[in-house]
Amino acid sequence: MKALALGSVAVVAMVLAVVLGPAHVPLADLATSEIVRSLRLPRAILAFLVGGALALSGAGLQALVRNPLADPSLLGISGGAGLGAVVAIALHVTNPWAVPLAAFVGALGAMGLVYRLGIMGSGGVGLDSATLLLAGVAVGAFAAAVTTSIVSLSDAAQLRNAQLWLWGGLSGASWQTVALLCVYAPVPVLALLASARSLDLLALGEEPARHLGVDVPPLKRRVYVAASLLTAAAVAVSGVIGFVGLVVPHAMRLLWGHRHRPLFPAAFVGGGALLALSDTAARVVVAPRELPVGIVTALVGVPVFVLLLRRWTSR
Amino acid sequence: MGRWAHRTHLAGLLAVAAFACGGEGKRSTPAPGLTVTDDVGRVITLPDAAQRIVSLSPAATELVFALGAGDRLVGRTTWCDYPPAALAVPSVGDGLNPNIEAVVARRPDLVILYRSPLDEPAAAQLGRLGIPAVVLEQDRLEQLAHASRLVGQLTGRAHAGDSLADALTALLARPAPPSHVRLAFVVWDTPPVVIGGGSYLDQLASLAGATNVFHDVSGASASVALETIVARDPDVIAVLRDTAAREATPPAFTRRPEWHAIRAVRERHLVYLVGSLFGRPSPRAEQAIAEFERLLAEAGR
Repeated sequence: MKALALGSVAVVAMVLAVVLGPAHVPLADLATSEIVRSLRLPRAILAFLVGGALALSGAGLQALVRNPLADPSLLGISGGAGLGAVVAIALHVTNPWAVPLAAFVGALGAMGLVYRLGIMGSGGVGLDSATLLLAGVAVGAFAAAVTTSIVSLSDAAQLRNAQLWLWGGLSGASWQTVALLCVYAPVPVLALLASARSLDLLALGEEPARHLGVDVPPLKRRVYVAASLLTAAAVAVSGVIGFVGLVVPHAMRLLWGHRHRPLFPAAFVGGGALLALSDTAARVVVAPRELPVGIVTALVGVPVFVLLLRRWTSR
Repeated sequence: MGRWAHRTHLAGLLAVAAFACGGEGKRSTPAPGLTVTDDVGRVITLPDAAQRIVSLSPAATELVFALGAGDRLVGRTTWCDYPPAALAVPSVGDGLNPNIEAVVARRPDLVILYRSPLDEPAAAQLGRLGIPAVVLEQDRLEQLAHASRLVGQLTGRAHAGDSLADALTALLARPAPPSHVRLAFVVWDTPPVVIGGGSYLDQLASLAGATNVFHDVSGASASVALETIVARDPDVIAVLRDTAAREATPPAFTRRPEWHAIRAVRERHLVYLVGSLFGRPSPRAEQAIAEFERLLAEAGR
């Protein structure tokens, strides 16, 4: 029943994303329209994939560090991606794929650094959750500081452009980016889904999980790397979209409970639906202008989350 | 070495500040001077025509030179690249959120600032140091005409200032040629940012016989969805460039598949505008319009 409802929400979100837009496309022409075929459809699919990836990655990271505040941007990955992108923009690299690629490299760099520090924090055996969080915040803050220095030293037009990229958006969507993500995402997604049962046990604490037969250090490494790789790709194609990775997993937990086997797919579909809806709103509400989608995810998502929270706590 | 340089610099700054405050006190008796009100309502009085001017915007730098007061310019921004003589003037760094110390170190008796939220506090700060600072709007041609009158008065070139202002106003009043090209200015690609109706470029386009398809967007620029550009179907895409190099590679977005939904991108109907001539309202507006007409005719061929 819940699954059916969530599925319907996702379908409605995708239909709206294709039917609505700042350009008027008559319903009869939807199938033949160039705008729908080469812009709206890939953009709707990319929004769904990116939203799903961020929410799934957030759910995985929250389980890993057993902290409700964990989300992809808290672990330094978004900060690293932002730094990479701004460096590419400041260097005037003219290749169309330079910014996404630089963002991806920056995200991987931040991920490697945080991972290293997390291993160090545990004395070399596994990943220490507290150190991971602290390292994530520190690396993120450092990357943000470097980003801001570059932005404030570059000229006015570049500065504005870099800021626009940092706020996130799906304007770079094409069938190529969709294909890229479809090839790339399954491995980390499957790695997270396969860890669902073990993460349920980890929720009891590391010691009890070990007694119940979970090999904790490799589990944590696998979840961390998979969630980071997902986030890195999402940020590379769409900029920094906050909030989806933090709140969608919590909202889904209120509806589905804490078991990760059903939670992970629900978070993916919920995150995808939220980002597809938000992007449609970003394109339509102030047309012909467009809003940065990260702002809309917060404007749409927070009220939904508050409603869910009220229903759940008043039970 | 660096530390000593810093100290002497600071000492100089304090001396200037003290001198300036002293000067203010002596001027308390009403003296015949030049009094103007700038674009944020600040009233500025100069005892005499300005002799040491710091310009904190490229448009104001061009203006000062056009009025024949270029030899009195003692400071400019990093971005002031015209006329070539401007490059000989020491740079004080950025015009937006300017480095007050660097400006004061040039011992100006007039500072011209661009109107922005970052520059109004800077003007107030300079005022507290006793340095006359005017904040001028310089985003559109009529604003530059107004700035020309004010700067003309402050530099003792009121006649030149008024006649340049009249020439710019006449340019604006000129009946626009019939529009034969529909164009969009694309200034950024991720996300797409276009120039709207409230801009100098929009004015230039209509004076050059073209219609900006985003004229209805009231601001200077706006972020829009790609499908909006596709739906408005401009004949030509205009792009700002640093140099006039004709062999310059086309912008990166022309190689992105999603941009090929735009007819003008597919057919490579692109016009490159040099930023220093087109990017800001300047006394060279008439030249910019003529150049624009030529480029549009070329692109239409």
